[in-house]
Amino acid sequence: MLDYAEAIHRLIEELRRLPGIGQKSAQRIAFHILRMNAEDVRRLARAIEEVKEKIILCSICQNVTDVDPCRFCSSDARDRSMICVVEEPYNVAAIERTREYRGLYHVLHGALSPIRGIGPDDLKIRSLLERLRSGEVREIILAMNPNTEGEATANYLARLLKPLGVRVTRIATGLPVGSDLEFADEVTMYRALVNRREM
Amino acid sequence: MHVIRLEVVGFRNITEEQLEPSPGLNFFYGENAQGKTSLLEALYVLGRARSFRTPRLLELIQHGQPQALVRGIVERRGARAELAIQLSPRTRALFVNGKRRTLSDYLGHLAVFVCSLERMDIIRGEPEHRRHFLDEGILSLDPKYAHTLEQYQRILKQKNRLLKLAAESGDPRRFIEEIEVWNEQLIRYGALIHRARIRYVELLQRHLPADLFGSERIAIRYVSSLAAHGDVSEYETLLAERLRVRLTAELTIGHALVGPHRDELAITFDGRELRHYGSLGQQRSALIVLDLAQVSVYNSAFEEEAVFLLDDVDAELDRRRIARVLEYLHGRAQCFLTTSKPEIAEMSRPQAMLFRVEAGRVVPTPPPAREDEMNRLPEQATSPREISS
Repeated sequence: MLDYAEAIHRLIEELRRLPGIGQKSAQRIAFHILRMNAEDVRRLARAIEEVKEKIILCSICQNVTDVDPCRFCSSDARDRSMICVVEEPYNVAAIERTREYRGLYHVLHGALSPIRGIGPDDLKIRSLLERLRSGEVREIILAMNPNTEGEATANYLARLLKPLGVRVTRIATGLPVGSDLEFADEVTMYRALVNRREM
Repeated sequence: MHVIRLEVVGFRNITEEQLEPSPGLNFFYGENAQGKTSLLEALYVLGRARSFRTPRLLELIQHGQPQALVRGIVERRGARAELAIQLSPRTRALFVNGKRRTLSDYLGHLAVFVCSLERMDIIRGEPEHRRHFLDEGILSLDPKYAHTLEQYQRILKQKNRLLKLAAESGDPRRFIEEIEVWNEQLIRYGALIHRARIRYVELLQRHLPADLFGSERIAIRYVSSLAAHGDVSEYETLLAERLRVRLTAELTIGHALVGPHRDELAITFDGRELRHYGSLGQQRSALIVLDLAQVSVYNSAFEEEAVFLLDDVDAELDRRRIARVLEYLHGRAQCFLTTSKPEIAEMSRPQAMLFRVEAGRVVPTPPPAREDEMNRLPEQATSPREISS
């Protein structure tokens, strides 16, 4: 026998399939939805449906978008000689927040991780190589995460891109702003020293 | 540095106990399987965030409890810090003064070392136990080394998965480019581990306690798996070259064959490998000598006392040797010892604090033994022989 009426049970099961949601959270969310007024529930359901219907990947940069090409790729204000390569769409938002970068993006949708079964063919690498054909791009900035998977991906791309005659750079790693030297691990400290700059 | 208060909840067979140990010498005594070693283990977990008896957190949690908690107050150079570790079946949460910390930020608040027959694998077991012994020692000097180890393990795991895929595929050479990318990082972190271990073994050798259980006949040496193939002082270059040479073999076998995860700590007694040729007595002596050397390295690096745990002291050592070890540790460490023989504990009164452990309960202040009681114990031990003669 089910603990709850079937409709509740089904909702809990669906919620449980989402990342970071276990049995308890699923139950809590399901009962919250049950108590919401009908209009709010419809709006939530519509939002979920719409995100799937309307959001596509930009055919150029592979970022999530509702128009193709995306707003970055079709903008006249962006510098077309630079491409910043990131792992995930939300990394684009993080870089945009700095208002420092005016070039284009390319989203890989992941990083190399044999453990998780992600190899080069599972990343949007081919479409990146196609973008270099026009000769317009002069610099590629590799902005993968500074962890082992991100580093492996950056190394892999660097080997692939350098022979094509384009400038390949990696975002700097080092000490986090507002922290203390004492708390840096050996590798972070090492890199901060190697990548030091003239004052 | 010493523990001034320990609280253990839902840990092994201990439901909830608190104790306030002496900054010097402490004995846990009682029958076997009452929870003495569990208390040592709790102290070890408090300092190291892992057990010396098992890699599985689940074993530490009392049966039927959702989680275990070990909390302690550590006094160090006049300042106090509250450490706490909360163990759930799959995770552990570490706190310093109530604030959640990462492993490398947590380690270093309580330097604890243990000598236990349950760790004889360090002497007799596979090389991984000896590498682990070194890594523990390095962590006691540099908690940030935890990050280096974690990264190396992760890279190795990724590379191994890739090699397995390659070995099982029809075309292993297709994976070479991808493997090289992981090798680049393996070299970087492998070199850090290699150097840290070389440095640590030198320190350890220098700190082997003089004139203790034949310590002058014990020697240790770090043996890099690359040593036979070139100059290890140019470690990155040598490692890169070995990775190149062994690539085909790695692709065929399907796991990583080159790196510091294949290194060894050689321990010799009179020049002969202790692991294969030593007597049980020599092996036991070597274990305690090495554990004491770790304490000494710590003492001289930080100019402060550590915490030393000695499990089942009477099984490990005779009375004369216990006295020698305690003498050595005096001024070097706050000590916690377990014994099933109360007279061993009584022997060290009045400097020592005694805790009786019974069915997972700790009874802190047992009545002081009367003098006639102490004298009677050896008599009882000899009486059967008198009867038989």
